[in-house]
Amino acid sequence: MQLTINNTAVEIREGETILEAARRVGYTIPSLCYAPGARHKSSCMVCAVRNTANGQIIPSCTTYPTDGMQIDTENEEVKLVRTLSLELLLSDHKADCEAPCSMVCPKGLDVERMLAYYDTGEMEKAHLLIAAAFALPEVGCTDCKAPCEKACRRGSIDQAVAIREIIQDVIARSTETPGQEGQPIPKNDKNQYYSRLGRFTAKEKERLKETVTTPSRCLHCACAGRTDCKLRRYATAEGIKRPRYEASTALPVMEKQQISEHLWFEPAKCIRCGLCVYNSTNGFTFQDRGFGMQVVLPEANRSHIGDEFAALCPTGAIYLKENESWK
Amino acid sequence: MACHCENNPIETQEAMIARVDALIDRIGTSRQIIIPLLQALQEEFSYLPSEAVERIYERTEIDRAQLISVSTFYSQFRHIPYGKHLIKVCTGTACHVKGAGNVYDSFRRELKMEDDSITTADQLFSIEKIACLGCCTLAPVVQIDEKIYGHVLPGKVNEVIEDFLAQIEKKEQASAPNALRQVAGEIRLGMGSCCQASGSADILKELHTASAELGIEVNIKSVGCVGVCNKVPLIDVVLPDGTVTRYPNVKAAEIKEILYHHFQPAGRLKQLKNKLFNQIDTFHTDTTWENVIWKTEAERTGVIDRFLSGQKHISTEGYGFLAPLNLEEYTESGGFEGLKKVLASGNRQEVIESILSSGIRGRGGGGFTTGKKWEIVAASEKEEKYVICNGDEGDPGAFMDRMMLESYPFRIIEGMLIAGYAVGADKGIFYVRAEYPLAVVRIRTAIELCRAQNLIGEDIAGSDFSFDISIFEGAGAFVCGEETALIASIEGERGFPKQRPPYPAIEGLYGKPTLVNNVETLSQIPYILRNGADYYNRIGTDHSKGTKVFALAGKVRHGGLIEVPMGVTLNQIIHEIGGGVEGGEQLKAVQIGGPSGGCIPAHLCDVQVDFDAFNQMGAMMGSGGLVVLSESDCMVDMARYFLSFTCEQSCGKCTFCRVGIRRMLDILDKICSGKAVMEDIDKLEELALNVKKSSLCGLGKTAPNPVLTTLKYFRHEYEEHVNGRCKTGTCKEMVKFVVTEDCIGCTKCAKACPVEAIPYAPYEVHTINVEDCVLCGLCIDECKYNAIQKVSICN
Repeated sequence: MQLTINNTAVEIREGETILEAARRVGYTIPSLCYAPGARHKSSCMVCAVRNTANGQIIPSCTTYPTDGMQIDTENEEVKLVRTLSLELLLSDHKADCEAPCSMVCPKGLDVERMLAYYDTGEMEKAHLLIAAAFALPEVGCTDCKAPCEKACRRGSIDQAVAIREIIQDVIARSTETPGQEGQPIPKNDKNQYYSRLGRFTAKEKERLKETVTTPSRCLHCACAGRTDCKLRRYATAEGIKRPRYEASTALPVMEKQQISEHLWFEPAKCIRCGLCVYNSTNGFTFQDRGFGMQVVLPEANRSHIGDEFAALCPTGAIYLKENESWK
Repeated sequence: MACHCENNPIETQEAMIARVDALIDRIGTSRQIIIPLLQALQEEFSYLPSEAVERIYERTEIDRAQLISVSTFYSQFRHIPYGKHLIKVCTGTACHVKGAGNVYDSFRRELKMEDDSITTADQLFSIEKIACLGCCTLAPVVQIDEKIYGHVLPGKVNEVIEDFLAQIEKKEQASAPNALRQVAGEIRLGMGSCCQASGSADILKELHTASAELGIEVNIKSVGCVGVCNKVPLIDVVLPDGTVTRYPNVKAAEIKEILYHHFQPAGRLKQLKNKLFNQIDTFHTDTTWENVIWKTEAERTGVIDRFLSGQKHISTEGYGFLAPLNLEEYTESGGFEGLKKVLASGNRQEVIESILSSGIRGRGGGGFTTGKKWEIVAASEKEEKYVICNGDEGDPGAFMDRMMLESYPFRIIEGMLIAGYAVGADKGIFYVRAEYPLAVVRIRTAIELCRAQNLIGEDIAGSDFSFDISIFEGAGAFVCGEETALIASIEGERGFPKQRPPYPAIEGLYGKPTLVNNVETLSQIPYILRNGADYYNRIGTDHSKGTKVFALAGKVRHGGLIEVPMGVTLNQIIHEIGGGVEGGEQLKAVQIGGPSGGCIPAHLCDVQVDFDAFNQMGAMMGSGGLVVLSESDCMVDMARYFLSFTCEQSCGKCTFCRVGIRRMLDILDKICSGKAVMEDIDKLEELALNVKKSSLCGLGKTAPNPVLTTLKYFRHEYEEHVNGRCKTGTCKEMVKFVVTEDCIGCTKCAKACPVEAIPYAPYEVHTINVEDCVLCGLCIDECKYNAIQKVSICN
């Protein structure tokens, strides 16, 4: 059978969807809720294409070609649908791609990462980061006006993390002399999309105050799955700065659940594509419906979930701790 | 796994497990039966206790993931225990425009419920909003346990609660025996759900008591819905010579007089006694003079005749006469003739051709040609096929399907049998909302009666056609009206619609070809086969054939259930059948098709009832709710109302429906609170168009219709709201109440105010404390001097 994609005839292989055929011949169609070889149902509509034969917008990831279809993957209408679906998903996605402290550091120190090392007791690694950022690490940043502490989200709950003191502490406890060859510092790319968590509700503040008790008290706002987050990649590609719609979510913000040794789950970053639900047996499941629908993993089902789910998840909702972006 | 039991936990837990086991033994252990099993569990324990749920994991194929997924999807299931009595406040369209929101708030205030709780501290009452009780002509309606209260005003909720508690204390005695021998004529009384809500049950009881007292032996027959909902309780007295005298709005006190008027008591002595007592009664009380029997014929039935004159009864044939569960009577009046004709001819193709040439289109909303659907299912080579009757009517403001299931179960069964025969299916399923208990009972009984007469089962009526019918009770999800979601729920999954193609007609229930037809569609089938396709084809317009049943409600004088031929105009329905707008107000618009439909403005109401004509206007036939809106209704609020309904009912699968509708609602909330800017209207429109275009199923694709049609025809109202004015005073955040100089200081409003926002100040012009005022409107109702007015906050 043949299918017309952007006015070109394409030979269709057995069992192939529109998305698969279009990608095979070189068209770029974004998709979130589709993963090659995995069970899926279309939901995100990021892969929307237009069938010019009847003017309908269809999800290319689950639609099989039929006779007379003329697919347009590029026109304005399709682009608007894709942008809108990303904006809608982002308006319901209360999560930070980058931590605010790292964003504002004049020296470009990845503060959040440094604090992560501090929390796990890896002082050498923390020190290396500091050494790479500051010309004179011994002096640290005592003279700085500390925009990081002003930006710190913890500040809106009780008190900002004492970032400068921790830096001093790291320097003092480090025995190693700082070498010149510290890790290269990845600068935050200003063109990249980064979402904003916004304000916490009173309830969230209460919960976070009680649950986040690591040595640094850092909430670790930065998303651990940000480098392979498709949502972020597409939002950047579409030039979305921030969604035009009011942001609100029914999901529990900044709740982190440990599934197994390395595997973590953050429900608030979920876009409810269902890939993890459809591909697990008595594992992840949907709860409730409509705007309040969420993906949950009952405690008793955690053992049914393997590390491969991190790669399946299109966002940073399911991630491997050891595989965090900066490693 | 916490146990909530208070005393002797181990023993009670064991007892509980035994009860759960008994249910599992009865219902089964496969994944598919999860919904019936949970329904049974909830019936047993009134909610789903966690211990019982754990037992399900142990004993059945149902696992934790499936149970969480399903039990949280359907609104019927409860995970926490409720109070002893459940108050359901109907928030259907008709109730909404008549102030259901205030009624709900009043109940909460009256029962002193805390912020989020839905149960009173003493565990006596729980309260919830319900999409539609289907008693739209009695709006606002409240149901407490089994008892339905109509026309509930916010100021009267305490009386309703008192009445309910008193009724419980009384604990009704066993009803009078109804095995009276028919001697002369009969009395017919409508006993549909809404008739019962307006007191038909009391009338029935009174009929029995009064006839026993008078010594009259007359057959009292409960018939189905009479349609004239605003005139019920309605009784027809049929004399032996066949003359029918009709009494609308009868009261229990009037029954005795009516009986006496028409029937002579048996014994001489009793006659004399009755005459004597009656004379004395007449002299002593003046109530007898107001009795309905002294009213003229025109006064009594004029309205009803006008109401009925423009109608044509196909789905509701035999209305006011057929007893719902009398199979013999149904057969005598032409029932099962269509089926027998079909079975005798033995030609399936012919049946499908009849349906095709009749031109009938599906009544569920989309208007797909029924014959086409049948053809596709019939064409499949597969062995097993299913016919499903879609009775998951969930639109607020629509109750046609319920009425038909309750009143004409045999007709729908016949329609299903014919469909089953034509497409070569051997199994039928009635999918009926669990909120329609009476419909479920009637269909179940009707199936049994048919089975006993060999109309269902093996080799039906001597032919080689075998067909079995079962019932599946929906668990409360509007989206299950969508056929693929409906099928998913029968399969024991959450009601997620599936991508089409493949259409259910090719790959449906359990992967088998499945014909899904709406209740109303099936109810028209026997008529077509009995009278011939050509005969049917003559009714209606070019592309819409036959009749359509509507639930006429809202601001109309005579609401009710009507069946009209396609092609009549909306104006005819509103003015000729419905008697015009209530209270002499101007007609503003007609909301048609519920949350999937739209608002048609008054100046376009000369449009004919026709699938395509409605679609062109941006509205939709939908399932047939028809809510009349007057000058005092706010169109922006109307759009917001429907959108909040679809937002709650969205399954949550696709982005545009799940998040898009929520964001549209955010914008509407902003507009209705006067905080929006003009660009928000454009943003709303852009989003609405894209949600319509890009949602994956019918729910999402039609959900923006109420917004789009109001934007199209009433954009100026949106603009007014942005400018800070809600002309009708409906949008609470934009109005306040003020006391004018007309106030004489009678303190009535101060006494009526439930939140003490009006200080008690006799002989002074009262004041309203705006911060405390909840805008319930009780003071306005109470004030005799029209001294309290709604004004816009901006002015």
